[in-house]
Amino acid sequence: MIEPKLISYLFMAVAGALSLIATYLAVIEKDLVKAVIYSAIQSTAYTILFYLLMAPDIALVYIPVAVGLYPAVVFFLIKKTERFEESG
Amino acid sequence: MRLGRYLQAFSLVALAVLLAVALTYKGLGDLPNPAVRDLALWYLYTTLNPEVPNMTVMSPEAVTAIVWDYRGLDTLFETMVFFLAIVGALAIMRGITLNEGGEGLHIERYGLSLITKTATKLLVPLIIGVSASIALHGHLTPGGGFQGGSAAAVAPLLVLVIFSTYYVVFKLRLSELSMISLRTLGLMGIYMTSFATLILGLVIGVNAYIFQNMPKANAFIGLPPALGGSLISGTLFFFNLFEFFAVAAGFTLVFILLSIPEVKAREVLKGEEHGH
Amino acid sequence: MRFLKVRNMDINGFLFVFMLSTIMLNLVISLYGVFARPSLIKKIIALTILSDSGNVLAIAVGFRDWPSGWSPSTPPVLNVTSPKASDVVSFARVAVDPLPQALVLTAVVIGLAVMLFLVFLTLQIYRLYGTTDVRKVAKLKG
Repeated sequence: MIEPKLISYLFMAVAGALSLIATYLAVIEKDLVKAVIYSAIQSTAYTILFYLLMAPDIALVYIPVAVGLYPAVVFFLIKKTERFEESG
Repeated sequence: MRLGRYLQAFSLVALAVLLAVALTYKGLGDLPNPAVRDLALWYLYTTLNPEVPNMTVMSPEAVTAIVWDYRGLDTLFETMVFFLAIVGALAIMRGITLNEGGEGLHIERYGLSLITKTATKLLVPLIIGVSASIALHGHLTPGGGFQGGSAAAVAPLLVLVIFSTYYVVFKLRLSELSMISLRTLGLMGIYMTSFATLILGLVIGVNAYIFQNMPKANAFIGLPPALGGSLISGTLFFFNLFEFFAVAAGFTLVFILLSIPEVKAREVLKGEEHGH
Repeated sequence: MRFLKVRNMDINGFLFVFMLSTIMLNLVISLYGVFARPSLIKKIIALTILSDSGNVLAIAVGFRDWPSGWSPSTPPVLNVTSPKASDVVSFARVAVDPLPQALVLTAVVIGLAVMLFLVFLTLQIYRLYGTTDVRKVAKLKG
């Protein structure tokens, strides 16, 4: 019989792995619009983590900030400046 | 240049190894911890406990109780950091406004399609309602001023993107000045609430403190924990209410500034160079 | 071989520590993004990931392990408005630490406000110098 605790901790591990992949892609991506989208995916994984770590307050504040406001602000910035990062 | 690359790589690997060692030798404590610290037990026992009348905050929400009562002064100064960051943004964008020139503009031609606009019109009241509910029930359920305020700031952002900046500034009359006023109103409310018990104590003539919420052992005065039968937890309800306005108005102000077309900003910068 | 024997953990402990190590790797990767990528916008994105990873780590330190396989630990919110003494005792036995949550709560909002200020600084740099690449900005004179 699988215990609910195991399922909960398994979801934590999966969310952590997802956030790791998304962070890596966000940092190496040259197209900044794609980088922001990867960063939003990473934020979604963190929201799952906050919820499973029994912090509903943080999940509530983190959804609008990290998935709504923050990508929108960076999109405004990219629209006004430049979209591609030059290789360095 | 080559050496710098190696140094970067080495320092990052060293950081990863050190973090792993700290985790392995329980540098962060037992993880996952089967118990919590004594300090946390203190917060959990006293957050809503009528049996210790001089210790409790009378709020079932321990996080809001810490944010606005146990560590209230801390949060007050964090609100000040938030205030200063937005003042800094305002200082960089000084002189760049959209306050005139909206007469001959066909506002309805800007923005996305009619379907999107109609859907947004239905959605925006819902967002505002949910975020107000999050903020006003902050002392009872998960939520509070910060959460509600940042959720409410999504609504003006949607309107800005879907209806264009001109619609917000000339049709809804949400200018920068009105947002600054709303924000100042929220901050004034926070300051007044933090002095409420002190003023009450001075009027009656008993001992009281700044940022006091419930009666304490040597200051027997406090705001009422319940109003008309429903729990408001003294100052916590008012702090959440005013923080909601301060956060929502602050973010809306920044979004309006950020969505002003770049042509306007260039005009202002050129004017500065020529000394106008 | 003491290094391998410090904890004899079960599968749940392994999964939790795996999650913690991914967060720590996130810290390292985002730090690389902050100091090695040339674009200022990329630096802002990486800085946000860095602070969020720190926040998750703080919450994880305050987390309480599930008391048993079938009963979870609870958020630090009492579900009655006029509790008896037994309610408070049983609440304090299962709830997680509220202090890191309260600190992270303000850190998220203040972090966004400071990030907005950095966005305006980057915008101003682009207006004045015409680029967001730090190497090009460093080469400019005056």
